[in-house]
Amino acid sequence: MDVEFRIKRFDGSKSYWQSFKVPVRKGMTVLEGLYYIKENIDPSLAFRASCRMGICGSCAIKINNKPRLACETQIMHLGGKTVTLEPLDNFKVLKDLITDFEGFFAKHEFVRPYLIRDDVDYNEPVELIQTPKELEAYYIFSLCIKCGACYSVCPAAATRDDYLGPAAITAAYRFCADSRDRGKEIRMDLVSSDNGVWRCHFAAECSEVCPKKIEPAKAIQKMRLASTFYMLKNIFR
Amino acid sequence: MAISGWFKVSGRSVFSLAFSFHRITGIILLIYLCMHLAYLTSLTDKTGQTYEGLIGVTVTPAFLAFDALLVLCGVYHGINGLRVIIHEFGLAYEYRKAILAISIVLILAVWLYASYVMYKLVVGG
Amino acid sequence: MEKTSAKHVFEPLAWLLQLITGILLAFLITIHFYVTHLESHEAISYAAVIERLSSPSYKIMYVLLLLFVSFHAFNGLRAILLDTNFGAKRRGFTNVVTMLLFLLAFFYGFYLLLII
Repeated sequence: MDVEFRIKRFDGSKSYWQSFKVPVRKGMTVLEGLYYIKENIDPSLAFRASCRMGICGSCAIKINNKPRLACETQIMHLGGKTVTLEPLDNFKVLKDLITDFEGFFAKHEFVRPYLIRDDVDYNEPVELIQTPKELEAYYIFSLCIKCGACYSVCPAAATRDDYLGPAAITAAYRFCADSRDRGKEIRMDLVSSDNGVWRCHFAAECSEVCPKKIEPAKAIQKMRLASTFYMLKNIFR
Repeated sequence: MAISGWFKVSGRSVFSLAFSFHRITGIILLIYLCMHLAYLTSLTDKTGQTYEGLIGVTVTPAFLAFDALLVLCGVYHGINGLRVIIHEFGLAYEYRKAILAISIVLILAVWLYASYVMYKLVVGG
Repeated sequence: MEKTSAKHVFEPLAWLLQLITGILLAFLITIHFYVTHLESHEAISYAAVIERLSSPSYKIMYVLLLLFVSFHAFNGLRAILLDTNFGAKRRGFTNVVTMLLFLLAFFYGFYLLLII
């Protein structure tokens, strides 16, 4: 059976729609459809992909208006004879379905997404013990694959370019909630700026589209609450 | 993306729609607040004539549709707001679907009751 | 970095107050609607309004309602503006203007309550 792939393309100066007929069989993913087009019809079609198994986060695009991983979306599950593909919203489009992720990665780096401790001694390394319960407090937030789907649907990210975004704030919370971390205050200062936690108004669409179901909306609420108490307690310090 | 990013419908979940309505009703109510303060300025006429004149025009069946929509905005923003407050305090995130459903039901119920009250006031009596 | 300066406490305080005034407004506006609509059609006549405004408990209720709704509305506007690049580039200006508008709305309504 044939399905029409209607793709929003961009050549550097103008965007335009182009349709391709793709022969589809059960189990075929959107990513396989894209590869089919590239290999058999138009080699100039540009898209990002790598692992094709939902772990690298490269192939997130808008499929029928919803950001999803192309490698995890089966064409027959979408229903209908047309599949509409567009690059993620709120990112600058470089070519066709490829968007600029530099800013997104910079925001992630900004929140210092690594354990911060003051007792690191490489000559006498100490094992940091953690109970299963302590792990549970942040584990799910550590599964982010940086695909950008959350940022694509966030209304704050739509109108404010420097908003840190769900992924970065979730990463900040992941470390703040990690019992081995000692950098909570540093990170809270970073996310409490006005391009941080204060821009979230709980549209919670990020949690709906996350392919790893890591609940960024939950992390942001917790991060904001922690920041509030931290900043207000500072008055009395 | 521009402000249209706040009001996207296609491919969005009920949570996103709830946010979009919350924002638009907030803006409408802000404008209404200013209008309401201006309206109440008529009370400074100690004879009561300006105020009663305004009442005579606005508290009529002709304005009922506008009033019902306004009350919908107020009821929606209030009840949905309480839902958002619960979640922004870090509570009940896991139950957000159920809480949203309950909120919508409450909003409809309260709105219909309030509209009925206004209808009775202006038509029934 | 001076952690206790007013600048650093403004955002969390404003956020917290937005939620708290939201809860209080849910009550106060329900009462306001009840008082003006449910008792009788006469409840919004000029005479009835003046009578309410001369009672101390109603006056207090109205002042509180005015305070909370003015803050909530204009702080909401502030949040909306700061959600945009326009507001982001002029953060101080946006904060000052919206808070001034809040005070303007409050003092105007307070003035009305005094002179009516």
